[in-house]
Amino acid sequence: MATSIPSLAIPGQRLGSANTYAAGPGTHVQQANIFASIAGPVILDPAQPNTQSKATLRVSRVLSAAAQSSPTTASAKSKPRYNTLPAVDSIVLARVTRVQKRQAAVSILVVLDETSAPDADLAKASSDNDNIASILTSAANPENHSSTDELRFQAIIRKEDVRAVEKDRVVMEDMFRVGDIVRGCVLSLGDQTSYYLTTARNDLGVVMARSETGNMIIPLPIASMASGQYALPSDWLEHEDALGSSELHADSSRAATAVALAPNILSVV
Amino acid sequence: MNDRRRVNGPPGGTRPPVYASLLQSGTGADIRAQRQRQPTDLRKIFLKTGLIPSASGSSYLEFEPSASLAAARSNPKSLIPPSSALKLACTVHGPKPLPRSAPFSPNLVLTTHVKYAPFAARKRKGHVRDSSERDLGVHLETALRGAIIAERWPKSGLDITVTILEAEDDRWWGDVPDSHDASWGMMNVLAGCISAASAAIADAHIDCLDLVSGGVAALVSDDSTDSSSALPKLMLDTDPAEHRSIVSACVVAYMPARDEITELWLKGDSSKVSTADGDERSGHEALIDGAVDAARGAHTVLAEAVRESLQKALGQS
Repeated sequence: MATSIPSLAIPGQRLGSANTYAAGPGTHVQQANIFASIAGPVILDPAQPNTQSKATLRVSRVLSAAAQSSPTTASAKSKPRYNTLPAVDSIVLARVTRVQKRQAAVSILVVLDETSAPDADLAKASSDNDNIASILTSAANPENHSSTDELRFQAIIRKEDVRAVEKDRVVMEDMFRVGDIVRGCVLSLGDQTSYYLTTARNDLGVVMARSETGNMIIPLPIASMASGQYALPSDWLEHEDALGSSELHADSSRAATAVALAPNILSVV
Repeated sequence: MNDRRRVNGPPGGTRPPVYASLLQSGTGADIRAQRQRQPTDLRKIFLKTGLIPSASGSSYLEFEPSASLAAARSNPKSLIPPSSALKLACTVHGPKPLPRSAPFSPNLVLTTHVKYAPFAARKRKGHVRDSSERDLGVHLETALRGAIIAERWPKSGLDITVTILEAEDDRWWGDVPDSHDASWGMMNVLAGCISAASAAIADAHIDCLDLVSGGVAALVSDDSTDSSSALPKLMLDTDPAEHRSIVSACVVAYMPARDEITELWLKGDSSKVSTADGDERSGHEALIDGAVDAARGAHTVLAEAVRESLQKALGQS
């Protein structure tokens, strides 16, 4: 049975029997046969040892050769994804479009692929055929943004979802500024218009921002502390030239510590 | 609002005058397009996907020009081409968020637009979509809705836009309109739209049950003899310009892997057909079977085009 699996599939092509394999993403079952529903390379995920489950047939949405050759062990343990839309628990990168007292509106730029490592090359992310690197580094331009934002999924970060501690003392204006790139986790599909995001985790928050004069601001590592009055973390010293002196604004909601840290540095410099 | 300060040209295009004597004379008969293919022969199809980089999926489809059109192009005798060959481009945008006013939808919301370019037909089309274009859009949406797995894309919309660059004629251009005249060319256009949209959807990686392809068949009354007793013949992939009188025509959107029809559009009187000996099918059945056969033929091109673009994408990265 296992001999006749094609390497490439087009929609409507029969891949195998549903008695032998389980149907994964990119396939559908019709009359006890698994058919491909998208065009792409066919990948056979071996069955988990010492379980009753069958090997899963799926059609990959990612066409890059690197993603195919990578072992599929990561995807085996994560939930299968049937589309490239933001789903509950998916990690997204989003740009802040509006900051209000109770919430911040963001537009989702890219849904990060769970199968790739968190710090993997962003260009491999499969959801968008835009050039992600250029999206992230381009300065927020409020004038011509409206058109592209309509093509992106909108999301909301509510005040209570910004951080895990001291939720009642969050001031949204100090957490986000328009144009910041936020790494968030989808809480729910939300209402008819927007998804709901949270940044209340150590690996979530603002990852890229510009100061008022337009220079890049680099987030401090979460483990580092500004100890003493003038001692700065080594990272901070490295970037001091690029940043200029008075250009740090306190919008890093990377974590409670980072937010707490920022005003200290401001006063130091 | 007309511009009253200048002398404007006519709102539509103009055509060189053609005199009835020319059409009736021997030279006129030469101009008339004649079907050179066998009744079951299909025209060749050119189909390529991924030509529009800004769209998430796109395709371009072109039918092979008829023999008379190819001859007229290489050796023009008249300013007027004897027939036309379908050319169209299809773009797929999405999945993208629904507009703010739209209610929550757990499924993919499909929107289709079909638009003729102003120069696509012999009679110029306006920039606003007219009723026939809206009609084609509805037919296309029905055809695709049955093929797309909509529940895999919640809360998102898919816009499919087909631009027709060259449309099929409804009849030979020299013929006067008569009673059994209908927009037969629209049916060929719809079949092309279905195949092209299907390729563009596959290019956009939207989940589908199968590559749905369009096919046209028609019952054509005998050209040579004018006796009304002759039964109409079944022809696949008819070019209306090549036939004197089309009695009825049928277009289907067909999924070969499941043997399912998602869209069926039949026009005219399909009660009578001249079939081979031992063929007990009614004219209606023969017509639909013929359209399905034509769709099967289009599907081979479609599958090859999708596979080709897939291999190209894999080879590049």
